[in-house]
Amino acid sequence: MRQINVALVGNPNTGKTSVFNSLTGLNQKVGNYPGITVEKKEGVTKLSRVLKAHIIDLPGTYSLNASSLDENIVIELLLNKNDKDYPNVVVVVSDIENLKRNLLLFTQIKDLGLPTILAINMADRMDRKGISLDIPKLEEQLKTKIALISSRKNTGFDKLKNLIANYKQLSTEACCNASRVDPEYFGNLKKTFPDQNTYKLWLVITQDANFGNLDRNQIKSKTKSFEPKSQSELKRLQQKEIIARYTFINDTLKQTLTKDINAAKGLRASLDRLLMHRIWGYLIFAVILLLIFQVIYDWAAYPMDLIDESFASFSEWTKNTLPAGQFTNLIAEGIIPGIGGIVIFIPQIAFLFLFISILEESGYMSRVVFLTDKIMKKFGLSGKSIVPLVSGTACAIPAVMASRNIENWKERLITILVIPFTTCSARLPVYLIIIALVIPDKSFLGVFNYQGLVLLLLYFIGFGMAVFSAWLLHKVMKTSQKTYFVVEMPNYKVPLPKNVLITVVDKTKSFVFGAGKIILAISIILWVLASYGPNDKFKNAEDIVNTEVKTENLDLTQEELDTKISSYKLRHSYIGYMGKGIEPVVQPLGYDWKIGIAVISSFAAREVFVGTLATIYSVGSENEETIKKRMSKEVNPVFGGKLFNLASGISLLLFYAFAMQCMSTLAVVKRETNTWKWPIFQLVFMTGFAYIVSLIAYQLLK
Amino acid sequence: MSIADLKSGQKATITDISSESIPLKLLEMGCLPGNAVEVIKIAKIKDPLYLNINDTFLAIRLETAKDILVKLIDQ
Amino acid sequence: MSIQEILVWLTFIAAIGFLVKKFFFKKKTKKACGQDDCGC
Repeated sequence: MRQINVALVGNPNTGKTSVFNSLTGLNQKVGNYPGITVEKKEGVTKLSRVLKAHIIDLPGTYSLNASSLDENIVIELLLNKNDKDYPNVVVVVSDIENLKRNLLLFTQIKDLGLPTILAINMADRMDRKGISLDIPKLEEQLKTKIALISSRKNTGFDKLKNLIANYKQLSTEACCNASRVDPEYFGNLKKTFPDQNTYKLWLVITQDANFGNLDRNQIKSKTKSFEPKSQSELKRLQQKEIIARYTFINDTLKQTLTKDINAAKGLRASLDRLLMHRIWGYLIFAVILLLIFQVIYDWAAYPMDLIDESFASFSEWTKNTLPAGQFTNLIAEGIIPGIGGIVIFIPQIAFLFLFISILEESGYMSRVVFLTDKIMKKFGLSGKSIVPLVSGTACAIPAVMASRNIENWKERLITILVIPFTTCSARLPVYLIIIALVIPDKSFLGVFNYQGLVLLLLYFIGFGMAVFSAWLLHKVMKTSQKTYFVVEMPNYKVPLPKNVLITVVDKTKSFVFGAGKIILAISIILWVLASYGPNDKFKNAEDIVNTEVKTENLDLTQEELDTKISSYKLRHSYIGYMGKGIEPVVQPLGYDWKIGIAVISSFAAREVFVGTLATIYSVGSENEETIKKRMSKEVNPVFGGKLFNLASGISLLLFYAFAMQCMSTLAVVKRETNTWKWPIFQLVFMTGFAYIVSLIAYQLLK
Repeated sequence: MSIADLKSGQKATITDISSESIPLKLLEMGCLPGNAVEVIKIAKIKDPLYLNINDTFLAIRLETAKDILVKLIDQ
Repeated sequence: MSIQEILVWLTFIAAIGFLVKKFFFKKKTKKACGQDDCGC
């Protein structure tokens, strides 16, 4: 079967991803572009019995003038003929209401001489919006073929697939030639590089990146001969180009599109009036956040308990069924609890992404950006920082990348630096288990659960700290650059269940297979370190303890004796010696050496904490017990009493709230800021601050 | 006068963009001389400004709005 | 050493190898950036 490459391009918020989902269904995969962390979505669809289409959903962009890494991807692919994904045909996706703006991008792509189809989405809404369109005339003016589609009603896709399959019949002629803004300059370009597309040369000259085999400096050196353009002249030409394109587009649409203005308003205006109200708007946002966290806490608890118990009994079953030996022990005590420690977070992560994607899809997130800009500006942030900060509650890594659309570098840098304070989902398991251990499971006013409230409070602390440190940075850092802020207010939409579902599945999968592998590897390593010791004390643990019991004449039950032996072993294992080594550092915070080990291993990824404790505590344990039960039985080695009490619990919660414990985030920050300076700053500042705060909290509460 | 001087609900035509460093993105979204702009009437938030420029709904900060000069359309 | 012990150490080495690869042998990043002063 033959396969062709199809690129989907379009403005952000035009339902491009819905179109992609409709075309490919679940037959898609999400990866990264090589070397950079921009998400790459690709999928395959069958066009006919002999033809398949490999479809790439390119990042949303308003034009081919790249101002961010994501937008660069689009240009790089469209300019580089040697790229294995170089499209045979481009589909520009526009929704009916933003047609004008999407046509800007469309005319630019047409200028590159690529076969281009225009897919107009949400065509089912034309009547309701009072819009009518003269398709044949529009096709003629734009020199293209148009497919009217609706991803909501799932109509028009056969026509679109048909157009894609017959892409060879499409005109590759430009419909609005950029050369007209400066015929002399473009004419000279054409003369110097006769076998290149002139518009392509122009894009390479005006962008900061090199594309494929076209080298910018090489072009520059050759163009020097006729007329070098200064940076500001180039920018003025770019502006002229946009104006020329819009003139063409406005003329075209005047002839082909009629709009009954009275039918157009309505829902948008009334929802805006409520959601962007200077009092109600903020209240509604607060209530939405509160609801989300209550739901995550309440709903996810049931599947989580189930998972916890199933893994405990599965581990028990393995131990009794497989032949006895060290490897069986590794499976039962290291690998199965390790996998359990990953699976248990799936419900919460899925719920969190469910809500975040609903907020984004519905168009509500942009209203929050609007509402918060004025406040955020005072702290050196932008309204757009709200999206990274909110998605930081899922994971700091995509959040740091989401900050790319903040126009101002200082605002963007501050956003990146403070994101790790927001409570990411990796902290959630640590919080959940500690809250369950030290905060009473009672209700306040009969509605709000104390445990839920503490969790919400932790989210506020994280967010508050993020904003506070942003303000500090804002005061310290100086910049002369003027701040800009442009944000589109998309139409309200009922989120498509399919889109939401795909996002939830994607993100959960990337957690399980990304962080999950690390957690599993660390669980295995920890188990081995806890099951072997450097000297004879470990090997002869049973004899040593038995003699000790005899000489001291202790009267112990078999169970007590077993516990004594296994804790003796643990103390003299590799990990026991490592833990003892760091105990002086963590003791002032109320932790024993086991928690110390868990805290250290958390620097690979925070969610390792629970898995680590699960592994350490289950080594040598014979009974089937959940992690929680084991933890609550632990005794403080110095002061006696429960190890996990209010003081040490709060101290741990605060430590995890503030400390920078994620290598992956540090790596992403390094990549996004292009220097080690900022990630090292984060590591030192955040962790130091966390230590001091936890120390104070424990010493006050104990 | 500039967009910043418009009252909510008022419509105007963009005449000139006075700053060299206005982001290209704003132009791409249709903020160009000759295009119509309306300040959307909602609540009483004045910064950022909620605008309809050339049929695109967007928000910009007051300081940027000052750089976009307009002429009021008689109603 | 029994088969079980050998398997334990093999798994252990695989786990260490995975982490080392994950954190120390990152793919080279590519430099590409926008037109603004974004620090790159």
